[in-house]
Amino acid sequence: MSATILKVAALAILNVALVLLLSPLYEGLLRKLKATLHSRMGPPVFQPFLDTLKLLGKEDLLTVQHPAYAVAPAAALASVLLLATIIPIGGAPPLAFAGDVIGVVYVASMSAVLLILTAFASGSPYAAVGGSREMMSLLSVEPVVAVTLVVGAMKAGTLSVAGIADWNAAHGPTISMTLAGVALFLAVQAQAGKLPFDIPEADQEVMGGPLVEQSGPRLALFRWTMWARQLVFSLLLVELFFPWPRTGVLAADAPLALLKALVVLVLVAVVDVVNPRLKVEQAMGYYLRVALSSLAAMAFAVVGM
Amino acid sequence: MLTVILCLVLLLPVAGAVMAGHARAEESRGIAVRAALAAALLAIWAAWSAFPLGYDVRLGGLPWLGREAGAGLFGLLLDPLATILLLVVTIIGFLTVLYSHGYLTEHNQEHHGTPEDQGRYYFWLLAFMASMVGVATAPNFLQLFLFWELTAVCSWSLISFYRSATSLRVGFKAILMTHAGGLFFIAALLVMFAQTGSFDFDAPSRMNENLRGWVYGFLLVAAWAKAAQVPLHTWLPDAMEAPTPISAYLHAAAMVKAGVFLMARAVSSGWAVPHGVGLLMAVMAFVTMLVALSFYFLQDDLKRLLAYSTIAHLGYVLLGVAIGAMGSPVGLQGGVLHIICHAFGKATLFLCVGAVAWITGSRSISRLRGVARVMPITAAAYFIGVVTVTGIPPFAGFWSKFMILAGAIRLPSPMGPVIVTLVLVESLVAFGWMLRVGQVVFLGPWTPTGVERQPILLPRSMKAALWVLMLGCLIAPVIGIPLVHRIAP
Amino acid sequence: MITFRLLEAAAAFLIAGALGALITARRGRRGAWVSVVAVSGAAILMVASAVRAFRGGGDPEVSALPIRALGAALRIHVDPLSAVFLCLAGPIALLTTLYSVEYMGRFVRDGLTKYYPVLLILFLAIGGTVVTTDLFWFLVFWELMTLTSFVLVIFERESREAHRAGLKYFVWNQGAALGLMGAALVLWRRAGSFDFEAIRVSLATLLDTAPVTGHAVLFLFFFGFATKAGILPMGTWLPDAYTAAPTSVTAAFGGTMTKLGIYGLLRVFLHLLPLGPATTIWGIVIAVAGLTSLFAGTLSALKQDDAKRLMSYHVIGQVGYMFFGVGAGIALMQTDPLLGTLGLVAGLFHLINNSLYKPCLFLGAGAVEYRTGSRSLSALGGGLGGVMAGTMACSLVASLAIAGVPPLNGFTSKWLLYATGILGAESSFLLPVAALVAMFISIVTLASFVKYVAGAFLGAPVVTPAGAPPIRDVPATMLAPQYVLAGACLVVGLAPFAVLRLVHQAIVGLPSMIGAPDFASLLGGSNTTLALARDGITLASWAPVPLTAVLLILGIAAYVGLQRAGGVVTRRVPVWACGEEENPAELRYRADSLYRPFKDVFHGMYPRMPVVRFEFPDFLRRTLDLDHWLYQPLARGTQGAVRGVSRTHVGIPQVYLLWIIIGAVAVILTVLLVTGGAP
Repeated sequence: MSATILKVAALAILNVALVLLLSPLYEGLLRKLKATLHSRMGPPVFQPFLDTLKLLGKEDLLTVQHPAYAVAPAAALASVLLLATIIPIGGAPPLAFAGDVIGVVYVASMSAVLLILTAFASGSPYAAVGGSREMMSLLSVEPVVAVTLVVGAMKAGTLSVAGIADWNAAHGPTISMTLAGVALFLAVQAQAGKLPFDIPEADQEVMGGPLVEQSGPRLALFRWTMWARQLVFSLLLVELFFPWPRTGVLAADAPLALLKALVVLVLVAVVDVVNPRLKVEQAMGYYLRVALSSLAAMAFAVVGM
Repeated sequence: MLTVILCLVLLLPVAGAVMAGHARAEESRGIAVRAALAAALLAIWAAWSAFPLGYDVRLGGLPWLGREAGAGLFGLLLDPLATILLLVVTIIGFLTVLYSHGYLTEHNQEHHGTPEDQGRYYFWLLAFMASMVGVATAPNFLQLFLFWELTAVCSWSLISFYRSATSLRVGFKAILMTHAGGLFFIAALLVMFAQTGSFDFDAPSRMNENLRGWVYGFLLVAAWAKAAQVPLHTWLPDAMEAPTPISAYLHAAAMVKAGVFLMARAVSSGWAVPHGVGLLMAVMAFVTMLVALSFYFLQDDLKRLLAYSTIAHLGYVLLGVAIGAMGSPVGLQGGVLHIICHAFGKATLFLCVGAVAWITGSRSISRLRGVARVMPITAAAYFIGVVTVTGIPPFAGFWSKFMILAGAIRLPSPMGPVIVTLVLVESLVAFGWMLRVGQVVFLGPWTPTGVERQPILLPRSMKAALWVLMLGCLIAPVIGIPLVHRIAP
Repeated sequence: MITFRLLEAAAAFLIAGALGALITARRGRRGAWVSVVAVSGAAILMVASAVRAFRGGGDPEVSALPIRALGAALRIHVDPLSAVFLCLAGPIALLTTLYSVEYMGRFVRDGLTKYYPVLLILFLAIGGTVVTTDLFWFLVFWELMTLTSFVLVIFERESREAHRAGLKYFVWNQGAALGLMGAALVLWRRAGSFDFEAIRVSLATLLDTAPVTGHAVLFLFFFGFATKAGILPMGTWLPDAYTAAPTSVTAAFGGTMTKLGIYGLLRVFLHLLPLGPATTIWGIVIAVAGLTSLFAGTLSALKQDDAKRLMSYHVIGQVGYMFFGVGAGIALMQTDPLLGTLGLVAGLFHLINNSLYKPCLFLGAGAVEYRTGSRSLSALGGGLGGVMAGTMACSLVASLAIAGVPPLNGFTSKWLLYATGILGAESSFLLPVAALVAMFISIVTLASFVKYVAGAFLGAPVVTPAGAPPIRDVPATMLAPQYVLAGACLVVGLAPFAVLRLVHQAIVGLPSMIGAPDFASLLGGSNTTLALARDGITLASWAPVPLTAVLLILGIAAYVGLQRAGGVVTRRVPVWACGEEENPAELRYRADSLYRPFKDVFHGMYPRMPVVRFEFPDFLRRTLDLDHWLYQPLARGTQGAVRGVSRTHVGIPQVYLLWIIIGAVAVILTVLLVTGGAP
C-alpha cells in the first residue's frame, strides 16, 4: 500500500519537476528560435530562468490588499502543476485515480480563471480589457479542447486519460484521432498565448492585459504559469494523440514525450513568427470553425474510423 | 323542536322586516342586524341538528286540490341541498345587513344621502331573506314557486331603491325578465299537476318520457331567467344600479342561486332528467360562460364586471347540474358545492367594490389606481375573492370546480375531455383578466379620485363583514363537502 | 405514523408561525423572529422525518381528510426522494427567513403583513407537495405554492414591473397547473382514486389502450413541471418574477420552489410511469428541452446588467442541466441501466448543488443591493470587495461552484452529467454532442459570474460620496446564511460521497427503477474516490480530496518556495493609468462592455414572448349583446303595439258600437269559414 503511495508520489514529483524546470528552458529555446527566424541574436537560452530569478527578488507592488489577491499567482502556478500530475509524461498519469479528461478540461481552465479574476481585482482598466479578452479566448478555445478529448474518450470508450493514451498507442493512428490531434494543436496556439492569438496580453494594445499591474515575484509566477501551461498542453497533445512509439519504459518514453512536445512548441513558435495578431472576433470565428470541423472527428469516431 | 326553529328562521326576518319598516332610520338598522343575526344563528343550529339525516315536516295543505295532493302540501324540508342554500342565504344575508349598517350612511361617497329611507331598505332586504329561506326549505315545487315570485318582487323593489330614472327602468326590466321565466315555471307546474296530481319534487320523474322533457325544459327556462343565463341574462348587469350590498346578496349570492337551486332540486329528486334536457343545459351553460367571458373585456364598471362573472359562474353551477343529469353525480355535487363557494367568493368581491366606491365614490376600472395603499384589507379581500371564484386552492372555488370537472371527465368521451378543456381555458382567461383588473385597481401608486372621504376609514361593520367573508372563502368547502356527499342517487 | 406526526408538527409550526407573524407583523421585527422560530422548528422536524426515511425506508403511508366523492385523501408518505427535497426545503427555508429579518427592513413602505405569513405558507406548500402520495393533494399544494409565491412576487406592489412579472408568473403557472389538473382527471377517470399506486396502474393501461391520450397526459405533466422549473419557452416568466420578488424570496424560489419541477418529473416519469417505450421517448424530450434551456438561458444571462436578472437566467440554464441529466437518465434506463442511473443521479445531485450555490448567489446580490441600493453591475462598478469581504468571499465561492470549478460541488455533478453524455455515445451520437454543449455553457456560466464578481466586488475600492455613511458589510443575520451555503458548497464538493449515496438511494427507491445498479457498482465503494467502472474497467474517476490536497501542497510550495522566496517588500500602490492623471471613476471598465464581441454573436438568443394585444371584435360584441338586437326591439315593438291599441280608445260611443259590429261580423265569418257552413 505504502509502496503504491510512494510510487504515485514519486511520479507526481517527477511530473511536476519536469514541467516546472523544463518550461522556462523550452521558452528560452523558443525565443532563440524566434530570434533566429527574425535574423536576430536573441537572448541566451537560460534567459527565462535569469529573468524569473531577478523578478523574484524585486519589490512586490500591490494595488489591492487582500489575501486571496496575494496568493493568486502561486495558486495559478499550482493549478498548472496539478494539471501536470493528471496527464501522462512518458508513463501513466500519477494521479490517474483522481481525475479523468473532464477533470483535465476543468483543471486546465483554473489558471486562466485565476488570471482573469486577478486582472479584474487589480483595478486597472487595461487589465479588465485583458481579462475580458482572456475570457473570450477561453470561451473559444475550451470547446475545441473539450471536443478533441471527447473524441478520444469515445474512441477508447473511457474517460480516463491513461486509458485513451493506451488505446491510441495500441491501435495505431486513426482518422478521427488524427483530426482531433490537429484540432488540439490549433488550440495549443491560443492556450500558449502565442500570435496570432495573444489577444489578451497584446503588449502593444493593452500593455500585457491581465498582467499590467503585476510586478516582481507575482509577474514571475504568472509568466511561469504561462510557460508551464504551454508545455503541459503540448505534452497532453503528444501523449494522447501521438503516443507512438511507446516502449513502456519510463526512462525512454518520458524524454521522447518531452522531445515531441518541443517539436509541437517549435511549430507553435513558427506560426507565432509568421502571423500578425487577429482581432477578437476573428479569433472567435476561427475557433468556432475549428470546433465545428473537429465535430467531423467525432463523426469519424462514431463510424469507427 | 326543529320545526319551531325552522319556522323562526322563516318568520324572524319577516318580523324584523315589519318592525324595521316602521321604525325610525337609526333604529331600523339595529333591528335588522339583530333579526338577521338571530335568523342566521338559528339556521346554523338547524343545519347542525338536521345533519346528516335531513328533516321534513308538513304543516298544512289545500284540501280543495284533492285528497292526495292537498293534504300536507305546505311544509318545511331541510335535506342537504336545502341546507346549503339555507346557510348561504342566512349567513350572507346577515353579513349583508351588517355591511349595510355601515354602508347606508351619509358618509357614503357614491350615493349621498338617503339614510332616512332605511326602513324601506331593511324591510325589503329582510323580506327577501325570508322569501329565500322559503325557497330553500320548500318541500315541493308549488311552495318553491310562491317564494320564488316573492323574491322577484323584493329584487325589483331593491334594484329601484334609489328611485332614479335608470334604477326604475332596470328594476322593471329585471322583474319583467325574471317573471317571464316564472310563467314557464307555472306552465311546468300545471303540466305536472295535470299529469301526476302532485307538486312533489319527484313528480316529473313519474311522468312519461315526452312530457317529462317538456316539464324539465320549462323549469330550465325559469331557472335561466332567474339565474341570468343566456339568453335571459341581460337584466343582471343592468341590475347593478342597486346598492352594492344588494348586488352582493341578491344578484350574486342568493336570488340568482334560486334558479340553479331549482335545477339542482329537479335533477337530484329522481335523477330522471332526459338526456336531451341535460345536454341543452350543459350547452347553454357553456354558451353563457363564453358570452359572459367575452363581456369581461369591455367593462369599465367593476360591478358590471362582477355581474358578468356571476353569470359565468352560475353557468358553472348549471354545467355541474347538467353533468349530474347526464349521469355523473359528482358533477352535480360539485355544482351544488359551487353554490356556497361562489356565494362567499362573489359576495366578498362585491362588498370590496362597495367599500372602494363607498370611500372613493368611483367604481371605474380606468380611474381607480393603487387603492391597496389606503384600503389594505379591502384589497386583500378582493384578491382572496378572485382566487376563490377562479378556483385556486385552498380557497373555496377550487374544490367545487374540481368536482364539476371530475364529474365531466366521467361522462362518455369525447364529451368529458371537451368540457374539461373548455372549462379550464375559460377559467384561465377569466382568472387572468380578474387578476389584471385587481392589479390595476388595487396595486400601484395611490392616485386619489378627489372625492374621498377623509380620513379614509371603513366603518367597523363593513370591515367585520369582509373579514367573515374572507374566512368563509376558506372554510366554505369544509361545510359544503360533507353536505354534498349526501346528494347522490 | 411517527413520520406523519413529525410532519404534522412541522405544519403546525408553520401555520402557527404564520398566524403569529400576522398578528405581530406591525410590531417591528417581532413578526420576523416569530417566523424564524417557527421555520426552524419546522425545518428540524422536516429533516428529522427525512432522516427516518433514509434510515429505514420510511413509515407506511398515512391518509387523512378523505373526500369520498373523488377518492382523494391526504396521503402522506416520505420516501427517500421526498426526503431529499425535505432536507433541502427545510434548511433553505430557515436560512432565507433568517436573512429576511434584516433584509426586509428595506421595505419601509410595504407592510410585512403580507410577507412572513405568506412566506411560511409557501414553505408549508413546498413541504406538502413533496410528501403527499395523492395526486389531488399534490395539485392542491402545488397551486397553493403558486398562489403564495405570486403574493411574494408582487410584494413591491407599487412597482409596475412587479405587477407585470406577477401576472405573467401566475398566468403561466396557473395554465400549467390547469394542464396538470386535466391530466390528473383523465387518469382518475380510470383509476377512481388519486392514490399514486392507482394512478400508476391507470397510466400504464391508458398507454396500452389509448396511446394518444396517454401521451397527451404525459405531455401535460411535462408541460406543467417544465413551466414551473422555468424550461424554455415556458420559463419566460422566470427572469421577470425572480427579479421582481424581494431577494430573500428569490433565494427561496431558486433553492426550493422551482426545483419542485424536477421533483414532479421524477415522480411522474419514474413513479407513475412504468418503464417502457414511453419512458424512452419522454426521456429524450426532457433531455432536449433541458439542452435548449441550458444553452439559450445561460447565453442570455451573459448580457444582463441587473445582477438578479443575470442569476435568474442562470436558474433557467441550471435547470436545463438537471433536465438534461434526468432526461438522459430516463431515456437510457432501459438500454443501459448503469448510465441511466448515473444520469438520474447526476440530475438530482446537480439540483442539490444548485440549491446550495444559487440561494447563496441571490443572497449575495441582495446584500449588495441592501448596502448600495443598486443591482446594476455597470452602475456598481466593482470595488465592494474591500468593504464587504464576507459577502464577496461567499459570492466568489458560489460563483466558482456554479461555474463548475473543481473541487467545488458544481464540478462533481457536472462531471457526472458529462460522463453520462460522453459514455452514452454508444446509445446515441447526440449524447456526447449534448455533453459538449453543456461543457461550453459551463464556461459561459463562468464568464457571466466573472462578470458579476468583477462588476460588484473586484477592482479599485468604492468611493462613497461625501456625507453618505461608508458602506459596511451586511449584518450577521444576513451574512450567516451565506456562510452556511458557501461552506456547504465546499464541503459537498470535497466530500460528495454521503450526499451521493442519499441521492442514489432516492433515485433507486422509485418504483420504475428496476435493475438499477447499487451505489458500489455505480460509483465505487470508496470514500475518497468516485470511480465509474464497467466490467472492471474504470471509465471515469474523480477524487476531490487528493486533488485538492495536491493543489494545496503545490500552492503552498509555490507561495513559500517561489513567490515569497526572495522575502521581498510589498508595497501598496495606486493603479497605474499609463501615466495619465485621470479620475478613478472614469477609468473603470464597465461591466456591460465585457465580452461585447462574444455577446454580439449570440444576440437575441433568449426568445421573448410578445404580449398579445387583444382587441375585442366589435361585431362580436354587437352579436352577443342580446339587449341590442332582441330585447330592446321587442320592448319597443310591444310598446308601439300597445300604443296602437290605446289609440282605438277615443271615448265616442258610436265608434265603440262600430267596433262591436265589425267584431261580431268577423267572429261569425270566422266560425262559418272554420266549420264550412255545417251546423
